Amino acid sequence: MLNRLWGEKEVRILILGLDGAGKTTILYRMQLGEVISTIPTIGFNMETVTYKNIKFQVWDLGGQTSIRPYWRCYYANTDAVIYVVDSCDRDRMSTSKEELMGMLEEEELRDSVLLVFANKQDMPGAMSEVEVTEALGLSALRNRTWTIYKTSAVKGQGLTEGLDWLVDIISQNKA
Amino acid sequence: MATFANIQLSDVERVVNDFIAAVRAPNYFASTRRGELTELRADLNSDERARRKETVKRVIAQMTIGKDVSSLFPDVLKNMQTDDLELKKLVYLYLMNYAKTQPELVILAVNTFVKDTSDRNPLIRALAIRTMGCIRVDKMLDFISEPLMKCLRDDNPYVRKTAAINVAKLYDLSPELAMDNGFIDVLKELVADSNPMVVANAVTALLDINESSTEGNVFTVDPVVLGKLLVAMNECTEWGQVAILTALADYTPSDEQDAVTVCERVLPRVQHANASVVLAAIKVLLVYSRYINNEEFTSQMLKKMTPPLVTLLSSAPEIQYVALRNINIILQKIPTLLGNEMRVFFCRYNDPPYVKLEKLEILVKLCNAQNIDNLLVELKEYANEVDVDFARRAVRVIGRCAVKIEEAAERCVNVLIELIRTRVNHVVQEAIIVIKDIFRKYPHQYEGVIPILSEHLDVLDEPEAKAALIWIMGEYADRIDNVASLLAQFLDSFKGEETQVQLQIVTAIVKLFLRRPSDGQDIVIRALEVATKETDSPDIRDRAYIYWRLLSSNPDAAKAVVLADRPPISTETGAVTTGLLDLFIRNLSTLASVYHKPPETFIGTGRIGADASTAQAISIPSTAEEVVAAAAAQVQKSAVEDLLDLDFGGESSPPPSAAAPASSHQSIMDLFDAPAPSALAPMGTTAAALSPASMAPPTSHGSTASGGGAMNDLLDVFGGSPAIGSSSTGSLQPTPSKPAKSDPFADLLG
Repeated sequence: MLNRLWGEKEVRILILGLDGAGKTTILYRMQLGEVISTIPTIGFNMETVTYKNIKFQVWDLGGQTSIRPYWRCYYANTDAVIYVVDSCDRDRMSTSKEELMGMLEEEELRDSVLLVFANKQDMPGAMSEVEVTEALGLSALRNRTWTIYKTSAVKGQGLTEGLDWLVDIISQNKA
Repeated sequence: MATFANIQLSDVERVVNDFIAAVRAPNYFASTRRGELTELRADLNSDERARRKETVKRVIAQMTIGKDVSSLFPDVLKNMQTDDLELKKLVYLYLMNYAKTQPELVILAVNTFVKDTSDRNPLIRALAIRTMGCIRVDKMLDFISEPLMKCLRDDNPYVRKTAAINVAKLYDLSPELAMDNGFIDVLKELVADSNPMVVANAVTALLDINESSTEGNVFTVDPVVLGKLLVAMNECTEWGQVAILTALADYTPSDEQDAVTVCERVLPRVQHANASVVLAAIKVLLVYSRYINNEEFTSQMLKKMTPPLVTLLSSAPEIQYVALRNINIILQKIPTLLGNEMRVFFCRYNDPPYVKLEKLEILVKLCNAQNIDNLLVELKEYANEVDVDFARRAVRVIGRCAVKIEEAAERCVNVLIELIRTRVNHVVQEAIIVIKDIFRKYPHQYEGVIPILSEHLDVLDEPEAKAALIWIMGEYADRIDNVASLLAQFLDSFKGEETQVQLQIVTAIVKLFLRRPSDGQDIVIRALEVATKETDSPDIRDRAYIYWRLLSSNPDAAKAVVLADRPPISTETGAVTTGLLDLFIRNLSTLASVYHKPPETFIGTGRIGADASTAQAISIPSTAEEVVAAAAAQVQKSAVEDLLDLDFGGESSPPPSAAAPASSHQSIMDLFDAPAPSALAPMGTTAAALSPASMAPPTSHGSTASGGGAMNDLLDVFGGSPAIGSSSTGSLQPTPSKPAKSDPFADLLG
C-alpha cells in the first residue's frame, strides 16, 4: 500500500542540533543498531535508513558554530527535522533554542514536522522532557506538528518511539 | 616541478576520462535555457537517486564547456556521500574545480573525505586523499593532517603512493604544517618502502619539496637511500625511474668505486624506450663521470651512450627537438661523443624547420677534418633548398665550418664560390656575409675570391650583405684596382643606405685612404663631409668626426687604429661557460636544457624568479642614469653657453664646469692626442651635459649611461683596436652638430 503510493521516493530527514548533542551517534544507532565511536562532524553524514518499509534519507549535519550557517543549504524538500538536544547541557539550552527558532522560521521548512530528542537521558542530572520543552519554548509553536521524546542514543532508548511517531505522521500527511 | 605537474595532470586526466566515458551516451551538453540553474538545483535535490546522478552529470557537462555552475556547490556536495563510485568521482571532479570559488563551503565536504579515507575500497581511499590534496583551500589544511597520515601508513601501496604525492602538495601550501607534523619524515621512510611505485612517488615528492624549500636540504641521498633507490629503479614505471634518476644525479659519490657502481647500475637505463628515462640516465652518467678517473670505463660508458642518443632522433619531431637541444649541451661537454654519427644529423626533407635548424647546429659541432667533405656535399644540397631561411642557415654553416677547421677552409670557400655562381639571390647574399667572416679568420689567403664577389655587386640588396662586401673592399683596398670607383658608387647612393651600410662605407673609404692615399684623397673628404653633414644618425656622424680628427691630427695613429689587427673570431656561437654548462648538464632533459637558460631565470620559485632577475637587471642602469642626470643638471647652464661658442668656431671659453665633465674631456684628449685642448674642451663638456637629456638618440650606442659602455662602442668603431684611454666615463656620444671643423679640414687638405 505505502510502496504503491510513494514509489521509490525517500523520506528526507534532517538531524540538527548543537555540537556534541549526539546527532551522529543517533544516526548510526538508527542505521546500524549499534554505537560507533564518532568524531566531530565537519560537514555532514548521509545514510539511508529503512524502517517499517519506508526509506528514510537521513542527513546528519555538523553542529559546530562554523557549520550551522550552512544548515540552510539542506532545508529544501525536508519532510522532518529531528532536533537533538543535550539534556545535560543546561548552559547552552538558550543557544539551542535560538538555533531552533531561527531554523523554524525558514520558509523551506514550513511544512516539515519537528521531532525533538531530549538526548543523553542516561547521564545523571539530565533535564526531563518537560524541562526541555520549557527551555526550548516548544509550547509556543504555532502551525507546527511536533513532539518530544526522551532518548539515550548510547542505550538505544526512545529512538524507536520517535521513529514510530514520524512514520505515523508522514503516512498521514502523504495519504 | 615538471614531474609533479605531470602527476597532477594525469590524475585529472584519469578523472576526465572516466567522466567522458560516463557521459558519452546521452547528450548532456544540450540546451542552456534560462533558469536552468534553478532547474538543475531542484533536480540535484530530487528524491530520486537516478535523477540526481543524471543531474550531476549535466552539471559537470556544463562545467566542462566553461559555464559557471559554482553556485550549485552545496547542492552538488550533497551527492558526495554515496556508494556509487561513478557519482562520487563526478562530485570529486566538481569539487576540485570549484573549491576555490567557495572556500567557506568546502568544509562541508570534510566529513565525507575523512570517511572515504577509511573506506574498505583502496581506490576510494586513494581517490579521497588525492582529491583532498587537490583542494587548495586554506580551510582544508586544518583537516587534512589526520587522514593524510593515515593514508601514508595505509596497507595498500596504491593509497600510499597517492598520499606521498599529497605531502608535496601540502608542503606547497604550508611548509610549516608539513614539517611540524612529521610528514617529511614519513616520506623519507617511504623511500624504503617495499613497493617500488611508492618509492618513486616518495622520491618525486621529496625532490619537489627540496626544490621549493628555502634551504634545499630537506632531502639528501645518502648511501643507505642510494641502495634503496637503485633497487627500486629497476622495478618501477618509467616516470618513477625518471624521478629516481633525478635524485641520483644530486648524489655525491663517496669515492670512485661508488661512482662506478652507480654508473653500472644506471647504464642499462639508457636503453629504455622512454626518451625522458634515456636523458635522465645520461644525465646521471655525465654527472658521475667527473668522479671517475678510469679512462677505460669512461670510454666504455660513452660508447654505450651513443646508440640511445641516435635512437632519439627517430622519434617524433618534438622529441627530436628536445633531444637535439640536449645533445647540443652534451656535445659541449664531450665534443667527441657522436663523432662517427654525423650522418644521423643530416636533415631529412620532411623534418620540420625547427628540427632542421637544430640539426645544423649539431653538424657544426660534429664536423672535423675527416668528415668535412661529406658534410659540404650535404650542406650544398641544403643551400639549394626552397626554404630560404634554411638555405641561408646552411650557407652560414659552411662558413662556420671553414672558420672552425683550417684545413678545410679552402674547400669551404670553393663550395661558397660555387654557390655564388648559382646567382640565387639569397644564397649569394648569405655567402658574401659568410666570406667576410672567413676573411677575418684567415686574412690574405683567399683574395682570389674578391673578383668573383665584385661581379655580384648588383644583386646585393640586403644591408648586411652590402656591409660585408664593402668591409671586404675596404680591407683589401690595395688589392682591388677599381676599388675607389666602386666605393664612389656606393658613396653616391649613401643617403639611401641603411645605417650599417653607411658605417661600412665611411670606414672602407678611410681604409682606402690610409692604404692608397693618392686614390683615396678626394673620396675620403667627400665621404666625411657627407657623413658629418648629411646624415641624421649620430653613430655615423660620430664615427666620421673621429676619423676626421684622427686623420687630421695624426695619420700614423689613425693607421694604427683603423688598420689594427683584429682579435680572432670563433665559431662557437651559443657556447656557454663551464659553470653554466655543468648547470645545464645537471638539468638535462628539463626545460633549462631546452632553453639553454638556468632554471631560476624562467621559473618563479619565489627565490630568484624571472621578475626578480629582470628587476635586478633594470635597477643598475636606472641608478646610473640618475647620477648622470644630476650631474647634467649642475652643468646645464654652462653647457648652453658652450654650445653657442661651438657654433662660432669653438676657440674660446674654457669649460667652467664641475668635476664630471672634466674627467671626460681629459679622456677625449687622451684619445685624440689633440694639440688644442681649448678647442676640444667644450665639446667634452657639452657631450657630458647633454647625454641624458633630450638629445640622447635612441639609436646610439645602447648603453646611454652605463660607464665605459660608450668607450667600448668607440673601440668597436676602430675595429677592435687595443684600448686607448681606458678611463673614459663614456661621455662621447651625442656630439653637438657642428664642432670646430675648420682645423681638421685644413690639416687634411694640407
